[in-house]
Amino acid sequence: MDRRGKKAVYSILTLAITATMVLSGCSTKKAGGESASTDGKNEAPYEVTMAFYGNEQKDMQEVQNEMNKLIQSKINATVKLLPIAVSNWAQQTNLMLASNEKIDLMFTSSLFNYSTQVAKGQLTPLDDLLDKDGEGIKKALDPSQLSASKVDGKIYGVTPVRDLASDYGILMRKDLLDKYHIDAANIKNINDLDAVFQVIKDKEPAIVPLVAKNPGTAPFDAGYITYDPLGGGVGVLPDYDNNMKVVDFYETPKYAEQLSTLRRWYQQGFMLKDAGTSKQDGREMVKAGKAFAYFSNLKPGSEIEASRKSGKEMTVVRLTPAYATTDSITGIMWSIPVNSQNPEKAMKLLNLLYSDKELYNLFTWGIEGKHYVKKSDNVIDYPQGVDIQSLGYNFGTPYLFGNQFLSYTWTTEDPDIWNKMDKFNRGAKKSKALGFSFNVDNVKTEMAAVNNVLSEFRVGLETGTLDPAENLPKFIEKLKAAGSDKIISEKQKQLDEWAKIQK
Amino acid sequence: MLLLMMLPGIFYLVINNYLPMFGVVIAFKDFNYTKGIFGSDWVGFKNFEYLFKTSDAFVITRNTILYNGVFIILNLFIAVGLAVLLNEVKQRFLSRFYQSVILLPYLISMVIIGYLTFAVFSMDSGLLNKSILPMFGISEISWYSEAKYWPYILTFVHSWKSAGYLCVIYLAAIIGIDQEYYEAATIDGAGKWRQIKSITFPLIMPVVTVMTLLQIGRIFYSDFGLFYQVPLNTGALQSTTNVIDTYVYRALMTLGDIGMSSAAGLYQSLVGFVLVFISNYVVKKFNSDNALF
Amino acid sequence: MKTRNLMWQWGINIILMLVACVCILPFVLLLTSSITDEQAIYQHGYSFFPEKISFAAYEYLLNDASGILHAYGITIFITVVGTACGLILTALLAYPLSRPNLPFRNLWSFFVFFTMLFNGGLVPTYLVYTQLLDMKNTIWALIVPGLLMNAFYVMLMRTFFVTSIPEPVIESAKIDGAGELGTFIRIVLPLSLPILATVGLFQSINYWNDWFNGMIYVTDSSLFSLQNLLNRILLDIQFLASSNFGSSQADVSSNAPMETVRMAMAVIGVIPIVVAYPFFQRFFVKGLTVGAVKG
Repeated sequence: MDRRGKKAVYSILTLAITATMVLSGCSTKKAGGESASTDGKNEAPYEVTMAFYGNEQKDMQEVQNEMNKLIQSKINATVKLLPIAVSNWAQQTNLMLASNEKIDLMFTSSLFNYSTQVAKGQLTPLDDLLDKDGEGIKKALDPSQLSASKVDGKIYGVTPVRDLASDYGILMRKDLLDKYHIDAANIKNINDLDAVFQVIKDKEPAIVPLVAKNPGTAPFDAGYITYDPLGGGVGVLPDYDNNMKVVDFYETPKYAEQLSTLRRWYQQGFMLKDAGTSKQDGREMVKAGKAFAYFSNLKPGSEIEASRKSGKEMTVVRLTPAYATTDSITGIMWSIPVNSQNPEKAMKLLNLLYSDKELYNLFTWGIEGKHYVKKSDNVIDYPQGVDIQSLGYNFGTPYLFGNQFLSYTWTTEDPDIWNKMDKFNRGAKKSKALGFSFNVDNVKTEMAAVNNVLSEFRVGLETGTLDPAENLPKFIEKLKAAGSDKIISEKQKQLDEWAKIQK
Repeated sequence: MLLLMMLPGIFYLVINNYLPMFGVVIAFKDFNYTKGIFGSDWVGFKNFEYLFKTSDAFVITRNTILYNGVFIILNLFIAVGLAVLLNEVKQRFLSRFYQSVILLPYLISMVIIGYLTFAVFSMDSGLLNKSILPMFGISEISWYSEAKYWPYILTFVHSWKSAGYLCVIYLAAIIGIDQEYYEAATIDGAGKWRQIKSITFPLIMPVVTVMTLLQIGRIFYSDFGLFYQVPLNTGALQSTTNVIDTYVYRALMTLGDIGMSSAAGLYQSLVGFVLVFISNYVVKKFNSDNALF
Repeated sequence: MKTRNLMWQWGINIILMLVACVCILPFVLLLTSSITDEQAIYQHGYSFFPEKISFAAYEYLLNDASGILHAYGITIFITVVGTACGLILTALLAYPLSRPNLPFRNLWSFFVFFTMLFNGGLVPTYLVYTQLLDMKNTIWALIVPGLLMNAFYVMLMRTFFVTSIPEPVIESAKIDGAGELGTFIRIVLPLSLPILATVGLFQSINYWNDWFNGMIYVTDSSLFSLQNLLNRILLDIQFLASSNFGSSQADVSSNAPMETVRMAMAVIGVIPIVVAYPFFQRFFVKGLTVGAVKG
């Protein structure tokens, strides 16, 4: 008996070891990847797997088939769409990249660790590929927009053509403004809003004057920003310049001032008492008739887009000038992971999305007659009897799928919107640090601790729920204890080095 | 033959649990995708630093241990108590009813429990503030900004959710007790309480011990849902709701660093491992049959 | 004696009734808030007695009725297959561990228990299942990883076998010439129905409520289980609430349904298992009688 038991233990151990070896073998073996490919006509079409965030659409397979007809005839490739829920994006793509699953094109973002991904060798440099197969992309984007994503002099991501700068302001329900004869043109800065909110609060007790745009965040979080965030975390460039001196925004008088405004609004009942806790989407609350206004990042046509989404006409008041920062460009990009077995084909497909009007619109809006109908050459609308709820295909992210300037416009939209957007992008001021990407690797430990402090205080302070007089000093002190200064000086160091190369 | 029977299960554990354990090396590496798991550079204990180099290190460790300690003890009493009572119910219909109802909370996911908690404690629309407190003439309390209430709320929610689960396990153990013991005791004239004390308790002791040991092994892990979803990730409550798991989650959410998350897991496992060894040793001293191994 | 017994029964029932209320009330709140008019919640707060009833939340969910039905199908399949296979594996492993004549018994117990303390983490596990076993986007990925057999249940069942199966019963079976397997199937299993039902119940609840495997191993929507489908929406909301991605240019509409819809989603996720529960309970009672007869 004894001997048999021992034997079993040994054989299991051996099995485990062999399996581990097999496993480690296959996780390193494929890493090199073979990328030999020619454009031979009789070659089987290469399937480009394209991963992006979104929820799978009912008619996706059908649209994908249509896309493949187009793509195959043009570049002898096919596409496989791989939408992944946004909440699962970071985890799923991390796993897929770590296990060398096939992804040829993927969405990347500075908000999803773009610079870390580059540092860890997950992405292919695109410069040569762009020169060879990316003519349409290079034509559609300004060189400064293309190079904003550079890390150590190489491009690893290409932004879609979309709003590449943003200004901030407030969106308010027009019906209520009209009802109480409030002239939005008189609102010049945030302090002018007190009077407006007061009217709404007095006259419409069932409506909250101000909500946050995104669930569980503070009103200014997505809506009123006066600095270049330099990749997020602590350490920002106030007013997009500040002579390139990085500071902790939470220590500035400006932040204190904002907090006291927010606290005042909270105390006067302009915001939900649960503002910091409730997980309600501000836009949904406006739609449901429960809220009056929210702050938002803006672009040309924002008010029309907002009106369409909330089903109520919205008036916009722009409170800051438009700026282009690295983050506004690197926030949404396309990259080719090293997992791709055929980066050339991936680049060719991406190029088509930037230059082929038919393909872009098919990808974005679906099949004509089924998912939209043409009202005129360039203007589309829902087919009869179909609305946004029952539509079988619409990812709702037109800004993501390539060159948005190729897009049809909806009947509710300004037909001239893309010209305006282009002007907006070109006219926006450029942050002094435009093109700088922060690499967090050296201060990971500090970032981890700082993230916890941020989540402890920010929402509470910025929704006015916490008294700034008491909590702001605590906040700053805890940030310092967590190592914020080290992060800031690291950022400063990297920024200085970057600036040197620019000259 | 016995070994043969075990084979499928052991095989599954090897695949599901032991094979992936090679991954602990990640905790000591600067994981790089092109280099692979084994090719990445060693960084020693750097990935562990963030767990200790923070002013919150004490708070999260204290919270984790205190909460879990209280949970283990409280659940033990509640679940054993309920199981004994349930076993005494003579009406079959009622007994079934109680059994079903007691397990209801276990079926609801923590995310939803978070929303339910919000429905009760919300400032603007909560049941307590809108309906119940006014009945007693108490003014509104802003539950979500007062950290001091939350140890009680979380403990209640935890017991509410998991006591039924443990109770069902203990009930199964009690039901498995041979009826003859009780019949003999009744003939001897032993009262209910005596029967419970000298038959039920000793006979379910092994199950109770094992269950408790298993929980001690996981004392450094905490129910992420309970501490993250139920307080709805409210910052103002962090002093009493932040535990190791939530700290790690918040820390790495934007960093997405695999090495650092493995480090946290390894740390939690090691502490649990040591604690279980000690308690198992103690149990063995008293009664070697009850020990885990 | 009789009155004392009656008092005892009354006392027990009153305590248990109270406990039952504590367990049921939040569930009732869940149900009522799922059928309360959205506006009423905002104005009057949550309540057990809705000011205004509305089924809008359910209508919203029914919009995608075929998707939900399909997901129910997946969930039921994985629950049934997973629970059945899991129970067999667990019992087969637990029984030998309970036998004193198993060589290296403690070592094996430790081998099993060790898996509860240490795990390799997500990435290596994912590598094993996708690279070695190629399970990504298959139905097996919803059944096998993590859930199939759990050391916790093995230890639980082992303890039960040790304490509740009288050694003489097994010995006498052996004397009658039954092998280990025969004894196990004909004698031990019938005596163990309560623990089998308990572990089976927990396993099926785990399968029913699981969304993690779906989130990790499945990107193909035709394999989404019910909880996976429902949780996706809730997780998206939570993600947008806690990351700064929502505040970037990416105008991700959270599609956040209002509270009532979230409550309704919970209701349709829980109802079936509540309905199925009494089925398991029959075994608790049966186990009791079989045990008594044998004893």
